[in-house]
Amino acid sequence: MTDAITPTKTLDVKGKICPYPDMDTMTTLKKMKKGEILEVLLDYPLSVERLPRSAKKWGHKVLSIEALEGPNHRILIEAFGLKD
Amino acid sequence: MTPIILSGLGIGILFGFALQRGRFCMNSAFRDIVVLKDYTLIKSVTVALLTSMAGFAIMVLTNTITINPKPILWAGNLVGSFIFGIGMVIAGGCASGITYRVGEGMVGAMTAVLGLMITATLTASGFLAPVKNWLQQWKYPTEGASATVASLFGVDYPYMALGIVVVAVILWVILARRNKEEAAPKQGSLLNRIFKQGWGWLPTGIAIGLVGIAAFPLSAASGRNYPLGITSGWVKITQLVLPSVPTENSLKWDMWLIVGIVVGAAVAALIAKEFKFRVPKWTVLIQTFFGGALMGFGAVCSTGCNIGHVLSGIPQLSIGSLLAGLAIVLGSWLTAYLMFVRPMASGD
Repeated sequence: MTDAITPTKTLDVKGKICPYPDMDTMTTLKKMKKGEILEVLLDYPLSVERLPRSAKKWGHKVLSIEALEGPNHRILIEAFGLKD
Repeated sequence: MTPIILSGLGIGILFGFALQRGRFCMNSAFRDIVVLKDYTLIKSVTVALLTSMAGFAIMVLTNTITINPKPILWAGNLVGSFIFGIGMVIAGGCASGITYRVGEGMVGAMTAVLGLMITATLTASGFLAPVKNWLQQWKYPTEGASATVASLFGVDYPYMALGIVVVAVILWVILARRNKEEAAPKQGSLLNRIFKQGWGWLPTGIAIGLVGIAAFPLSAASGRNYPLGITSGWVKITQLVLPSVPTENSLKWDMWLIVGIVVGAAVAALIAKEFKFRVPKWTVLIQTFFGGALMGFGAVCSTGCNIGHVLSGIPQLSIGSLLAGLAIVLGSWLTAYLMFVRPMASGD
């Protein structure tokens, strides 16, 4: 289902320690234009749950949270366009 | 010997399991308030404290335990815990956070623990001990029972503790009704929700609080009259490899607790398919080692980490632990501001 969506940008934060997965994602989203889609690849369980909360709080839209192999996850977020 | 191993290890496994499932980390709890404006984990911490406080009070009333609050060490608590608070943000986890993440396979947490082990041992009994002794010279009261919020008001501990819990729960319910939040969608069977999905903040807080309650009488039965603690256990593990320290001194309840936490977290992570060896860049490994080293030094100077002071000490209403908790929060906020809030505000 989410394969149909082509992300504008991909951010790989696998292996990063707390809270860099969230921080890197939020700063990247901040610079993206409205409607652009960010693909985040992460493996840190706390961030898999916290990142969608933070993204929503800043007005971004979480399109999907997909579990891959092991702790790996793929989250698609549509940017709100904070820079616009 | 065997009961100490079984009860310490058993409580540790339950603690590690709950820490991993609930992603319970006080570093994240305190730091997220200023960095991500996320209050999920601080709610968990508060629930855990209130649960333990109620449990300790009831156990005192039923003569199951005698509370053993830590004394006020003005400089030790404030300076030591402030340094601990700085260290945990740099290390990316509090004392319990880095310990359970070892069981998740996070190599950055392993190097943080290594730093904590080295400096905690050096501060407890090595060349840094004079610094600790100097910081701990201002003690109040100099003799006798430690000052608690209960003794400050001249009330018996159990009544003061239960009073605080009741008032806090009432206030919380009123506040929660005012700003209703959307509940997380519940999916799957109960077993799935326990073993496969992350726990919500409420069950996490209650579970951690219950582990703290169970820990108190079991640890006391082994001759260590105190609930959960992290740093002292790591010091005892370090002493095992030092030939100068007799081994029997280190085979204690709090050491088995640590072994249990790592095992419990690993089991939880394996069942949920969240176990993986995660190796960050070498610069990050040095960073977490340095953060852990600050934590070890600070915790021993303050006679406790975030677990010994916040999770175990505040429910006993120890004023020294309240001061330590405050200093941990201030140290973490200052560091989080410099490391994360300021760089993020500047736009990149």
